[in-house]
Amino acid sequence: MPHHDTFERKLAQARLLRDETGIRRPILVDDLSGTVHRKYGDMPNMTWILDRGGRVVYKANWTNAANVEAFLDRYLAARERRPPGAAQVMYETEQIEFRRTDAEQFQKHLLRNGPRAVEEFAKAKELWTRHAAG
Amino acid sequence: MDLKSYNYAHFDEHIAEGAERGAATAFRDSFRVGERAEDFALLRLNDGARVELSDYWRSKPLVMEFGSFT
Repeated sequence: MPHHDTFERKLAQARLLRDETGIRRPILVDDLSGTVHRKYGDMPNMTWILDRGGRVVYKANWTNAANVEAFLDRYLAARERRPPGAAQVMYETEQIEFRRTDAEQFQKHLLRNGPRAVEEFAKAKELWTRHAAG
Repeated sequence: MDLKSYNYAHFDEHIAEGAERGAATAFRDSFRVGERAEDFALLRLNDGARVELSDYWRSKPLVMEFGSFT
């Protein structure tokens, strides 16, 4: 798959991704310079939850569906079903999480995207290894 | 950031340029929990309509997932 060099190509690739993976949620496409993506932090696989008025209630630099679901259940229950007479206040938290990686599955997706994706990712891995070794 | 480095042609070069470190900082420094995030108009893929993020966060929370692949 070639990189995004025109907005039309970006749109076409978004359609392809939608159709190949069967995404049913609304997909909003950013402009070619990634204005919204860069404003929201520029990471590749983020999830943000924005409550009424755009208030940020959750931000994660990796998407974990189970975490998102658990958070929403807890957050909405607390926000909507406040026990009468009980006071509650908000507080904030920042946490570190871990994720499992599946190298085999990842490699399959790279292959689907083309030989250059495989080759360039392998080169990037060498850079990460060299960097980690100092 | 210019168009070419955002829409990079080669993943390994993108990494060699230190793009990841930049993104990690950008994520931390963007809108904070508890703050109001900025509203933007975007193109909705399925019908080509211009929609605003605030159309989605009016009555219930919006879960906004960003996606990218090499």
